[in-house]
Amino acid sequence: MTPENLLRRPQPVEKLTLGCPVMDRCLAGGIPCESITEIVAESGSGKTQLCLQLALLAQLPPSLGGLSASSIYLHSEFPFPTRRLHQLAAQFHAHHLQDLIATGRDQRYDPMDGILVQSVHTADQLLDIMTQTESFLQNSQTQFPVRLIVIDSIAALFRSEFDNTSIDLMKRSSLFFKISGKLKSLASRFRLAVVVTNQVVDYVGDGMNGLKIGNLEELYSSGRRVCPALGLAWSNCVNSRLFLSREEDEKANNCSVERSEEDGGFGSRTTRRWLHLVFAPHLAPSSCEFVIRREGISGVDR
Amino acid sequence: MTRITTSCAELDKILGGGISCKEVTEIGGVPGIGKTQLGIQLAVNVQIPCYYGGLGGKAIYIDTEGSFMVERVLQIAEACTEDMAEYGRFLGKSIQARQVEMGPKDFLENIYYFRVCSYTEQIGLENYLDKFISEHRDVKIIVIDSVAFQFRQDFDDLAQRTRVLSAMALKLMKLAKKFSLAVVLLNQVTTKVIEGSFQLALALGDSWSHSCTNRLILYWNGDERYAYIDKSPSLRSASAPYSVTSRGIRNSSSNS
Repeated sequence: MTPENLLRRPQPVEKLTLGCPVMDRCLAGGIPCESITEIVAESGSGKTQLCLQLALLAQLPPSLGGLSASSIYLHSEFPFPTRRLHQLAAQFHAHHLQDLIATGRDQRYDPMDGILVQSVHTADQLLDIMTQTESFLQNSQTQFPVRLIVIDSIAALFRSEFDNTSIDLMKRSSLFFKISGKLKSLASRFRLAVVVTNQVVDYVGDGMNGLKIGNLEELYSSGRRVCPALGLAWSNCVNSRLFLSREEDEKANNCSVERSEEDGGFGSRTTRRWLHLVFAPHLAPSSCEFVIRREGISGVDR
Repeated sequence: MTRITTSCAELDKILGGGISCKEVTEIGGVPGIGKTQLGIQLAVNVQIPCYYGGLGGKAIYIDTEGSFMVERVLQIAEACTEDMAEYGRFLGKSIQARQVEMGPKDFLENIYYFRVCSYTEQIGLENYLDKFISEHRDVKIIVIDSVAFQFRQDFDDLAQRTRVLSAMALKLMKLAKKFSLAVVLLNQVTTKVIEGSFQLALALGDSWSHSCTNRLILYWNGDERYAYIDKSPSLRSASAPYSVTSRGIRNSSSNS
C-alpha cells in the first residue's frame, strides 16, 4: 500500500438499522459501517438480543435499512442462545419474506443461513479467526457478502487469562489495540459494521474506575453504579459506545406484560430498559427507552 | 504568527488567537471529550477565506482510527458557512460577485483525507507528506487522529518504538516550519502508576511527551468540558471551558 493510495475520497458511511425508527433516530440512522460500535450492559439487558436482531436486519436491502449482507457472529459466552435466534429468525422470515425475495433471495431462503456463528474462547483465538476472516472476505464471491461482524462479548475473552500485575495489564492493553486495529482495518477495507459487546463491573469508588468517559457522568443499571469492563485502554479502542440499562419499576403501571425471553429465560413484568449513547464521533448525546418482545427489541416513543 | 481559530472564543483567548501555524500542537483527552470534534473544526476553519479573517487554506486529515464521519464534517462545515455569512452581514460587507461562496461540500473537498490502518502505513505516509505538500502548497494544517492508536499494539522492542516516534516527531516539526503550517496531533490518555497510585497521562510514553512543542489537555470538570495548556513555549498555563454542539466546537453554554 503506497502512501498515495492512502488518499481517499471520504463517502458518507452506510448505516445498519436497529429495526425501529425510535432507536434509529437515537443513532441518526443506525449502526455505522467502517467503525466499531460497542454495546455495554450487564447480563440480561438485551445486548445479545440486539446483536441477534442486527445479524438478521443486515440481510434486508438498503432501502429497508439493511446491508443485503451476511453476518459473522463470534460468541464467547455460553451457551449460545440458539432457541432465541431461531425464534427471531422465524419472526423475521414471516415479516420480511417478500422484501427478501425482491432482492434476489430464493423462496426457500432461511435467514439462519445468513449468520455464520462461531465460538471463540481466547483473545489469541480471536486474532486467528480475524486472519482467517480476512482471507474469507477477500476471496468470497457471494451475492450477499459479509458486512457485519459481531463479537459477543469481548469481555469474556479476557476474564481469566490475566492477573492484575502491571505487566499483565500492559500485555492485556496491547492485545486490545491489536484486536481493535485488525477489526478497524477489516471494517475499513470491506466496509463492515463491527459490533462488540462488553460487560460491566461494579463501581468501587477508586479513582480510575470513576473516570468520566463520554457524556454520562455515571452509568446506572439495576439500581447500582457500574462501569464498562476492560478499563480506559479498551475505551480508546472503540469508535462509539452504547450503554443499555435496566431498572425494576416497582410502581404498578400500565406497562403491558412483557414476556422477555432473554438468555436467562426469566420474565419480568415491570422492567424498564434504556439505550444511552455514551460517545460517538458523529452523534449528540441521546437516550431512548426500549422493550424486548417476542419479535425482538423495539424503541418506545414516550 | 498566523493562527487558526477553534470557533470557541475562550479557547482562542488562552491560545493567543488559535492554534499556531509553524508549530506542532498535541491535543490529548479521554474518549468522548471532543478531540476528533476539535480536529475536524480546525480542518474546516483553516479554510475560512482571507476576507473573513481566515487563512483560506486546505487541510490534511490523517485518520488512524476511523472516527472521521463525513456527515459530521458536513454539519460542522454548514455551520461555518452560516457563521461566515452572519459575520459578513455584521460587518456590513457585501459579497462581491467574484468572491464565490463556499458550501459544505467545498469544505469537504478541501480536506485531503488519508486512512491509515497500521503503524507502517502511518510512517510511510509521514515520509510522503513533504512531497505531497510541495505539490499542494495551500495545505495549512495537518491533523493526525490519533497519533497514538497504531503504536499502542505490541512492539517487540519498546526502544525501537521510542526511536520511531522521535523520528516522526522531528519530521512533523520540520514540515511545520518548512511549509508554515499547523500540525495537530490528537493523542489518547492512559493510566500511569506514579508513586504507587494511578494517574492519567497521555499515551506514547515520556520520551514522546518531550517531542511536542505545545500540548493541550482536554478534560471534564463535572459536566463541563475544559481545555488546559499543559505545555507551551510562549503561552501561560490556563484553562478555558468549551462545548461540543451540533455546529461544532463553540463557547461553553454557561458563558455565552
